[in-house]
Amino acid sequence: MRRLVGAQALACAIVFGQAGPYQRQEVDNAAASRGRQMYTQFCINCHGALAKGTEQGPDLIRSPLVLRDRMGDQIGPALKKLANHKSDLTQAQVGDLTHFLKDQVEATAKNRNPVTPPNVLTGNAEAGRAYFNGTGKCNTCHSATGDFAGVGRKYNPLDLQQRFLFPRRSKPIQVTVTAAGGQPVTGSLERIDDFSVSLRDALGEYRAFSREKTTRVDLNDPLAVHNQMLDLYTDQDIHNVVRYLESLK
Amino acid sequence: MKLAVFLFAASAFAQTSFPEAWPSYNGDLSGRRYSTLSKINQSNINSLSLAWVYRVNPGRAPQAGGGNVNTTIKGTPVVVNGVLYTTIPDHVWAIDARTGREIWHHVWTSKGGWHIGNRGVAVLRETVYVETPDCNLIALNAKDGKEKWHTQICDLEQFYYASVAPIVVQTRLKNHVITGVSGDDLDIPGYIESHDPDTGALEWRWYAHPEPGSPEAKTWPSVEAMLHGGGMTWVPSTYDPDLNLLYFGTGNPQPVIAGQGREGSNLYTECIIALNPDTGKLQWYFQPSPHDTHDWDAVQTPVLFDGEVNGQPRKLLAQASRNGWFFLLDRATGQHILSSEFVKTNWTLGVDAKGQPIPNPAKQPKLDGALVTPNQGGAINWPSPSFNPETGLFYANAARAWSVYYLYDDDDKPEGWGGNDRGGVSEAMLQAIDYKTGKIRWSHKWPGGGGGVRSGLLSTAGKLLFAGDPSANFVALDPATGDPLWHAALHTSVTNGPITYELDGVQYLVVGAGDTLYSFAMRAK
Repeated sequence: MRRLVGAQALACAIVFGQAGPYQRQEVDNAAASRGRQMYTQFCINCHGALAKGTEQGPDLIRSPLVLRDRMGDQIGPALKKLANHKSDLTQAQVGDLTHFLKDQVEATAKNRNPVTPPNVLTGNAEAGRAYFNGTGKCNTCHSATGDFAGVGRKYNPLDLQQRFLFPRRSKPIQVTVTAAGGQPVTGSLERIDDFSVSLRDALGEYRAFSREKTTRVDLNDPLAVHNQMLDLYTDQDIHNVVRYLESLK
Repeated sequence: MKLAVFLFAASAFAQTSFPEAWPSYNGDLSGRRYSTLSKINQSNINSLSLAWVYRVNPGRAPQAGGGNVNTTIKGTPVVVNGVLYTTIPDHVWAIDARTGREIWHHVWTSKGGWHIGNRGVAVLRETVYVETPDCNLIALNAKDGKEKWHTQICDLEQFYYASVAPIVVQTRLKNHVITGVSGDDLDIPGYIESHDPDTGALEWRWYAHPEPGSPEAKTWPSVEAMLHGGGMTWVPSTYDPDLNLLYFGTGNPQPVIAGQGREGSNLYTECIIALNPDTGKLQWYFQPSPHDTHDWDAVQTPVLFDGEVNGQPRKLLAQASRNGWFFLLDRATGQHILSSEFVKTNWTLGVDAKGQPIPNPAKQPKLDGALVTPNQGGAINWPSPSFNPETGLFYANAARAWSVYYLYDDDDKPEGWGGNDRGGVSEAMLQAIDYKTGKIRWSHKWPGGGGGVRSGLLSTAGKLLFAGDPSANFVALDPATGDPLWHAALHTSVTNGPITYELDGVQYLVVGAGDTLYSFAMRAK
């Protein structure tokens, strides 16, 4: 049974060279910057500006040799062995190069997050206004001069798009529970499942009910209409409305 | 001591050398998660009592890479010879299945890898097999948890990791331990392997891409894109011993979201695959999500059952796929029989002549966003479905979820993900699908539940269907109607697939929620 733990395991890993992501080479930004200069000078023509390869040279981000390298222990010997490569780099220069390449690898592995926010202002504000007051019936509950006055200042465009589609709950769901033979009890929904429902009534009192077959439960969710609209919006409608909302400064 | 045998309706799937109670990830190797046990049934379900509770305690070992140890039980326990085996990443526990008392605890010292979850163990005779986040298959002595051997199954340096439950397959020729791999941070190919159960030696590896130069390779723009095209094998396989075919799904292509550098359908990513387990040779494939750009791994359990289609008996395979579509295939040939939505989606232009959905280009990720349903989490995810031969219904704990897909990298050759989804809203529901028509026989919307449900399903001959709901309840429903019949309020939501087994005449029902296993028993006569 293996019971090596913590520092003991780390020590073993270092001693036996069993490096993994736990000991993935930590990028030194200054070294990566120096490495970038070297890369630009000696490598970029064949391996491309982002090290993703060209017709002249392979992708270095997808390279198992680069991925397995630690501080040049793979790249250094490869540079000396491969034809048409810079073979006279010092160990320190090779180390800098690895920091640059590792930085590119790490950036790729994390690129499910954007470097800059996406530009969502691609629609037509006038068409958005028409949709808001027409087909979309947004003006049934919202107003450009009322609750949405200045909404374009309040949120950045990306948040505006997300909040327009998926508004956060500002008012609780209202629920009315009518037990068999009992009087309806109305309040703000606390919790509901198949077996019970609870609410806070107008006096702030917590009320809970078992859900029997004869128990009637009526929910009034102010966001329900927004969720129903998701089946109706086109992406063009969305971008037009976002452009319109963004103009409400 | 009497050990009751877990019975299966389709004897073809009962591995006769496994007389135990829940001997494999899905119980049997059909993936149906249907038990013929009926001591717990509709008439007495409200007499069910709590038998034991077991909370995993990984001790003080730090998680590789820092942070807290992920103690969520996402694996399905395996029960063999009265011993229950449960896991979290780097940890295996053997527990007395009658009492919940710990017998042994194995701690694997990790060198890293994603500790997102572990799906469980496989057991063959006196050996317990488990995969570790740092890319090892380890074999433990079932008696005391001591390591017999370990072998590397993937390369941490290329950002692979391992989370899948191994599967033991016994063919007429020999036994195999089948392993899968995980990881989609970088552009690496997925594969599945077979190992010798005694030594761990690699028997074969099948990559989720075609051979360069083959007709199927033309579904990629270049060999380079194909060899870095993903297709991880996140979920355990199923197996038909009569056909000697192993079935599994493959995951998303790489780059995940930015697909402009991999035009084509991208075989064999997003496929249901049939292999010969003795050779690793491909027999047939079907692709639920050609050219996926939404991270909709088609790895959901391919469920095997025999049924009737248009009056003819057929050997069938069904999958409720993460993209919201249900597929019914002939599992001998891969011939498509039926495709239908099990939740409403908005990303297709219909299906092609092969029955495969045609992606709508307008719903590919966009620089300014495209509103898509399902979301990245999918209409269903890794939690297991169930097929009940008595009702003829296929059950899926599903969600109708929306999000906006953004393209972050519009370079001709993106890498990694290059985009993501954001948002949105989700409605959770339990869907009962008539396999003959693909229509929804009944749909039970879980009240009060947003977000996807991460509970697998179990149906039994006791006319019960067990599921976790989004409100931390473990629920029994009528499998014919979807009416809730019983529940137990747990401390948190169900996080694995429930199982059942019978020991000494007592039927047990075990489910995981967070770091805790709850065991219920029917002791009433």
